[in-house]
Amino acid sequence: MAQIVAAMAMTHSPGLTGWFDRAPKDYQEQALRAMGEMRERVAQARPDVVVVFSNDHLLNWPINNTPEYTVGIGPEHVGPAEWYDEWLDMKQYRIPGHPALARYIVNEGARRRLAFAYLREMQFDDGVSVPMHYLNPTGSIPLVPVTMNCTVPPIPTPERAYQVGTTLREMLEAYPGPERIAVLATGGLSHEPGGPRYFWVDEEFDLWFLDLLKRGDHQALLRECTLERMEAAGSGGTAELIAWTLVLAFTRGPAEVLAYMPALAWRSGTGMVVWPQLA
Amino acid sequence: MGNVDRCDKTLPTNEMMYHVRRDATLRARWLSDLQGVARQFGLSREEYEAVRDKDVRRLHELGVHQYYVPQILRLFYGAAANSNAHPALEAYKRAYPEEAARSERLQAELEKRGR
Repeated sequence: MAQIVAAMAMTHSPGLTGWFDRAPKDYQEQALRAMGEMRERVAQARPDVVVVFSNDHLLNWPINNTPEYTVGIGPEHVGPAEWYDEWLDMKQYRIPGHPALARYIVNEGARRRLAFAYLREMQFDDGVSVPMHYLNPTGSIPLVPVTMNCTVPPIPTPERAYQVGTTLREMLEAYPGPERIAVLATGGLSHEPGGPRYFWVDEEFDLWFLDLLKRGDHQALLRECTLERMEAAGSGGTAELIAWTLVLAFTRGPAEVLAYMPALAWRSGTGMVVWPQLA
Repeated sequence: MGNVDRCDKTLPTNEMMYHVRRDATLRARWLSDLQGVARQFGLSREEYEAVRDKDVRRLHELGVHQYYVPQILRLFYGAAANSNAHPALEAYKRAYPEEAARSERLQAELEKRGR
């Protein structure tokens, strides 16, 4: 049976690669240190595959049909998508996929009444590209990307994501293979991409949310940090934290916050988190 | 709920943007034949004019998904080095001066606190 070996979360803002040096020096240092620490923890966990949960950002699907979840099932993932390379200031990368595990998620999910759309060829913007740039720079860890709708109404609730995470954990643990699996949530914290508060970061919300993660009481977090609360802290962007509540279901106990920066220059509350204990 | 709920999921501009981002030919025509692209995707006159005028506030009012608005601007101004000083972001500051001023005050406060 497969085994979950690591659970982490980090911001994926395009500024982390596209205009990294426009933030204060100490933010740059904190971010690099935290992502270096994450990379080290990943190496220690020796995963055979990383499953990444991220907002689809209206990239892979047109607005008339935005699945709640989409799995990339191809043998290789190539990014960034056309036109995004310049924005992210990133060269093309290639990361092997894990079609067997990806297809299992789609089919076993259906048996458990969860709808996962899938794509054999998936496009990648900041959501997957930025975290992979820092955490999987040589593409040595095979990737199963799972994109989520975090931005087109109706945005699914954090509770819903947590429930899906719980089922996914059971499914992945039941996968008939020896794989060691890392799970990574990307996105958040507070930001309002393209909205009137495009330049705003809600530091108070971010610190409150991270404190809830540090307390490690999942039910309290889900009760207090509603979708409405996320939307109030930055509409259409902060709700990427539902990817974090999905991964929360793979963990137990307090999260360890490696860094937090209210980075106006990157137009996003910026944080890096690992969970030392797994569910 | 939040700003994102103002989005009109059935607005032709929102359908158009999906295709423009994925198609280099359409992106080239964006600068040479915006009216033709708008016609191809069935944009209303109001939608076309708001896009042409890079009118951020009007685009929001018409129901363009907020995520597409910076992309519309980047199609005009280019996508590289998209920091807060980028011309695409200047369009936001013009559209939402109060919000932009509030952000500048926050920036000053963070700097004072050594953050």
